[in-house]
Amino acid sequence: MISKKMIPLFVLLVVVFGYSCNLAFAQEAPAEVDTRLFHTGKIWIFVSVILFSYAIIHSIYHARSGGNIFIRRIAGLEAVDEAIGRSTEMGRPILYILGLGTVGDVATIASMNILSQVARKTADYETPLRVPCNDPIVLNVVREMVKAAYLDEGRPDAYSEDDIFFVTESQFAYAAAVDGMMVREKPAAVFLQGTFYAESLILAETGNSVGAIQIAGSDSDSQLPFFITACDYTLIGEELYAASAYLSREPMLLGSLKGQDYGKFILFAGIVLGVTLELVGITWVTTFFQEVK
Amino acid sequence: MRRQVPLILCFLFGIVMMLVEFSPHPISEGLRAEVIKWDLIIGPFALVIGVITLVHTHVIRVKRRVEHWQYSYLVFFGMIVMVAFGLPTGPKNEVFEWLFDNVQVPMEATMFSLLAFFIASASYRAFRARTLEATLLLVAALIVMIGNAPIGDVLWNELSPVGDNIPSTARQWILDNPNLSSRRGIILGVSLGVISQSIRIIFGIERSYLGGGD
Repeated sequence: MISKKMIPLFVLLVVVFGYSCNLAFAQEAPAEVDTRLFHTGKIWIFVSVILFSYAIIHSIYHARSGGNIFIRRIAGLEAVDEAIGRSTEMGRPILYILGLGTVGDVATIASMNILSQVARKTADYETPLRVPCNDPIVLNVVREMVKAAYLDEGRPDAYSEDDIFFVTESQFAYAAAVDGMMVREKPAAVFLQGTFYAESLILAETGNSVGAIQIAGSDSDSQLPFFITACDYTLIGEELYAASAYLSREPMLLGSLKGQDYGKFILFAGIVLGVTLELVGITWVTTFFQEVK
Repeated sequence: MRRQVPLILCFLFGIVMMLVEFSPHPISEGLRAEVIKWDLIIGPFALVIGVITLVHTHVIRVKRRVEHWQYSYLVFFGMIVMVAFGLPTGPKNEVFEWLFDNVQVPMEATMFSLLAFFIASASYRAFRARTLEATLLLVAALIVMIGNAPIGDVLWNELSPVGDNIPSTARQWILDNPNLSSRRGIILGVSLGVISQSIRIIFGIERSYLGGGD
């Protein structure tokens, strides 16, 4: 949508526009209302977002021009094919649980992206894919998304709208309903991907008890230990967001992961520098990061 | 066109809402409040669709006489009763409140309480000291458990000649150092992942949520 040459220009325009408007509006404003166009206290966060965004977009365009991208093996994602294959061989359904997040949660969108890739494979193998939803908006998006995935695979006849359904918005009622489904239908594979709260272990342990191969993934760090304990494979934190790129192997998506790594490298360097300077009594790095809010 | 319009909307809203985050101007605040209102308005419409699909799912179950189809009547019964008492007079209706407090809340509490048993079974599997990692996990878990229980410190102070409140101090050290640092590592990765994912979505690079393809 935006060419590579335009990116620095776009960034410059945003910064100049923001700064000029900030000055102009601040002079005309009454004293009691904050009419600054830009929150100067967030300048460093803004700069970090711009720099990190630039690194990602640059990596994406680098990947699009044919650059080689290495991505480490992620066991949980390698197992997706195994899980679908197992379900197909056993003639049992796959249960895909998107968690309790809304469509505004990035983890839910990441989960939908994985579901899209899973749906393409289930369309090919004609394996039933059951998706109980706890949010009506997520339900509608997921229905459209899975339908499009089946259409893209040339298998619209295999798509069943009844397999993607709304259960309830209530947390534990949802857990009870999904547990009941697991016990009755005995799915061969269970995917738990998205935002989870206290119901995570209830779902994962029930899945474990019915002998399903379970692939979990969440950005909720407090729920990850439960998934690691009860599931066969767990996508930890950022791996959930990398899943779509990993499964589709699209160069542009893989490129964004490289940009992410640049961000991690900068953070790591900052941490090492901060710790080293702190040890020799120089505290400005620590003070700087404490003041960034 | 069916995919281009959502992509354009996503791009516009993504960029605008990101900039709004950095602006305290009243117009910016107003815009944020307005978008939240739109979100609140969309919710009830989607809920209607949700309820329709729920009814449809259970009607199909009854028609096809699938296993335990009789329970679908309970869904209809519960839905009709709650709507009959809740819709005309709102959630402050006495019967509605009584049903909520005495039926729904205890049932949810029952589900939540199952968590204790699931934690026990999951811990049993996780703490079997078969590997070095599992052994370390077991040792750390034992220290945290003993440190959390008041009797741990009491027994230590009575029986050991070395130091006071060592179990709770060790527990706190484990939580503040290895535990917190690894959690922060995960949180940093998640934060970068969220930004990266958002950029992919805003710029229309990630389209899987639209069903993939062009």
